[in-house]
Amino acid sequence: MQGSSRWQRRWLAPGLLLVALVLLGGCRASRRRLDGPLVVAAYGSIQTVDPAQATTVIALQLLSALGDPLYAIAADGQIEPRLASGPPQLSADGLRAVIPLRRGVRFHDGTPFDAEAMAFSLRRFLAIGKLSYVVGNRIKAVRVLDSHRLELQLRQPFSPLEALLSFASLTPVSPTAYQQHAKGFRPAGFVGTGPYKLSFHSPQLQRLEPFADYWGQAPRNSGIALVGMSTSTSLYGAIRGGSVDVLLSTSLEPEQQSALHRRANAGKLREGAGPALEIGYLTLLSDRPPLDRLALRRALAYSLDRERLTQRVSDGLRPPLRGLVPPGIPGALAAWPKADLQRSRQLLSAEGYCNGSVLELQLTYRSNVPTDRLLALSWQELLRSRLGDCLRLELQGMESTTAYRQLGDGAFQMILLDWMGDYPDADNYLTPLLECRRGAGNRCSEGDSVASGSFWTAPGLQQTLLQSNAVSGAQRLALLDGVQRQAANGTPYLPLWLVRPRAWALNSITAPQFDGSGRLIFGALQRREQP
Amino acid sequence: MSRRQALTRYIGSRLLLAPVMLWLIATLVFLLLRVAPGDPVDALLGNRASALAREQLRAQLGLDQPLLAQYGQFLADLLQGDLGSSLRNSQSVREIVGAALPASVELGVTALLIALLLGLAVGFSGVARPEGRLDLAGRLYGIGTYALPVFWAAMVMQLVFAVALGWFPVGGRYPPTLVPPQGSGFYLLDGLLAGDWAVIQATLQHLALPALTLGLLLSGIFERALRLNLRRALRSDYVEAARSRGISETRVVLRHALPNALLPVLTIAGITVASLIGGALLIELIFSWPGIAYRLQEAIGQRDYPLVQGIVVVIAALVVLVNLVVDVVVALLDPRLKF
Repeated sequence: MQGSSRWQRRWLAPGLLLVALVLLGGCRASRRRLDGPLVVAAYGSIQTVDPAQATTVIALQLLSALGDPLYAIAADGQIEPRLASGPPQLSADGLRAVIPLRRGVRFHDGTPFDAEAMAFSLRRFLAIGKLSYVVGNRIKAVRVLDSHRLELQLRQPFSPLEALLSFASLTPVSPTAYQQHAKGFRPAGFVGTGPYKLSFHSPQLQRLEPFADYWGQAPRNSGIALVGMSTSTSLYGAIRGGSVDVLLSTSLEPEQQSALHRRANAGKLREGAGPALEIGYLTLLSDRPPLDRLALRRALAYSLDRERLTQRVSDGLRPPLRGLVPPGIPGALAAWPKADLQRSRQLLSAEGYCNGSVLELQLTYRSNVPTDRLLALSWQELLRSRLGDCLRLELQGMESTTAYRQLGDGAFQMILLDWMGDYPDADNYLTPLLECRRGAGNRCSEGDSVASGSFWTAPGLQQTLLQSNAVSGAQRLALLDGVQRQAANGTPYLPLWLVRPRAWALNSITAPQFDGSGRLIFGALQRREQP
Repeated sequence: MSRRQALTRYIGSRLLLAPVMLWLIATLVFLLLRVAPGDPVDALLGNRASALAREQLRAQLGLDQPLLAQYGQFLADLLQGDLGSSLRNSQSVREIVGAALPASVELGVTALLIALLLGLAVGFSGVARPEGRLDLAGRLYGIGTYALPVFWAAMVMQLVFAVALGWFPVGGRYPPTLVPPQGSGFYLLDGLLAGDWAVIQATLQHLALPALTLGLLLSGIFERALRLNLRRALRSDYVEAARSRGISETRVVLRHALPNALLPVLTIAGITVASLIGGALLIELIFSWPGIAYRLQEAIGQRDYPLVQGIVVVIAALVVLVNLVVDVVVALLDPRLKF
């Protein structure tokens, strides 16, 4: 009896605690209403939903569900009019574009969408938009011709105008709702024309409800709850535990992406992948020793075994890339050479290395980007085992913001970076890396080539780049081809891999679909009929 | 000078020193942020914009002003109680702090209660038989919970109870499919005041795992503090005197030894509260808890100068205040203290 009493005393408290845990846990988190909104999880928080202020990938993803651009890129890469009712009509000199607008479109506040509203939104973005430089370099002014025709005055002829106007930040906002915010921001509310309207916003949670008066196809679900989580492990755990319906891959650790990919292949999840619009690449400091020597840059290009590295780092989820423009975009060219260690060794030998002398290079990677670190370590090891007597990498990790600050100062011999065009066109990949407004020979002293840390240019390159934007069709493709071949010959960058946006859904949800701009189509998500 | 006068004078001097301390902290944060490489423009635009676009945005955000002018403006605003606006979304820092602080306080207070309950219960359990099995288990518990790395323990709790067992949500403060209560910002309090069981239940579901994890990790401190102080108290002369007067052991422990042993625990609790006001960073991060530490971490990464400065100043002010309150309470409870 006494023993029993002691036993009771000993286990009473832990037992009560366990019971409390069970009772509390009994109200399981995943017990959600089947007719309720779908829960989509992504990394990070959304601090602003103002198109003039939003800069993050996830915020632009949200805007693409809340608003409509003038033109959109379909999943097959074709450009289709959305709020425009047809393609832009260009003037003979290519400096004016008239855009016909769709009729019968309403904003979420019930006011009509027209040319005045579109002009208001474009002018507002050009005046205060944090990413206004994306369009400010192209569009000089906006003029209303009539209620549903808008004229854009361009700074110079720009043939990929429709692609530019598919930029998610250019989604129109209601002039009535934004009257008080014409020169300021409205971070916590959004009134646009998209298939969803924003019913609740906090940095970690956005609630989207279908917009009853939407002009296009209505969403197939009763709403979306977009949740931001702060760690990759939480995101992974959330989809594994079934507490979210859909998970977006942004900032998910590579191992976890691979694990989810395997689960999808095993039929335990449904996976969708968008177009590969993000590129990973290495920038080589091309105007200072030792990488001012073309042969050394070429030797590095030949030493890069992309297939092996991408397999090792991403389990094959990131396809190797041998061009600066993603292959799905018209004009893309795989101009960089495949790995050839023998050739690399020959070039290094010819430059005086490999015979007792080892070329030591510093490779900087962003310490807060897990894949960068993995790639740097893998490449270092690969070179050590195969070209160890010729070439050695010294690794340096640096937080991304710190690294970006020093790019234009020429602080990095080699740095691993990525780039995702704001709109899917070759220009948006080539210009930010190769533009050079002032330079001599192969050295650029002013332009995006400096800002990107390569300082490289080539005679005539800038002219060809500008010309490529003034023409279209086969003529443009030929010019783009020339630009990429010149860049590959000069080797100021080493394209590395492609990143495809991915999403995973529970089996009770339809497979995630992406549009041609790499945005998950929220409206296409739907609960499947349960057997 | 009487003890009461001395105490009043002590409080007065602490209150007078507080603004100086806050000014020093604010200045230090202001300078450290500017010394750190990279600025909000680099964080906003990454490697994507030209030098010209960067300069334009820098001017738009007022970062092109001389450092002294920026500092002067910051101090002038601070004196008027204006903490500025976030560079990221132009929202006032006061609003952001006002939204995030209740989340941290709710988590911190719940965790502290759990820690006190667990820590004191375990610490007290070994009293009956020192060096016995229960006492030994309590010591192991104290050392173990104190030594566990926070991130590891939190991830294990998350993986076991949220992912594997599915008992609790993986993260967040409220179910994403429901609209959070719009009240004081303290969801549990709002639910209780409104008598809304659904709100209380939903809040508890999300609060339970991070609070239990944090409480468990903090409980070791209280367990060790109580056990050591209680044992010291039980060996002291006044306890021996009480025993010799024939007072029962239960009464000796509860009425004589325990109150004295709890005084240092109160000080520790005060320090813990102060540190929790700043948020339990790793807990908030791992459980995606939208508290002040989470916002601070984000703001540092984004180089959102006004937000970092504002959060640090608010936290510093609260820490100063809580420490003062704890010191006064301890002083009132313990007549042995001199000032």
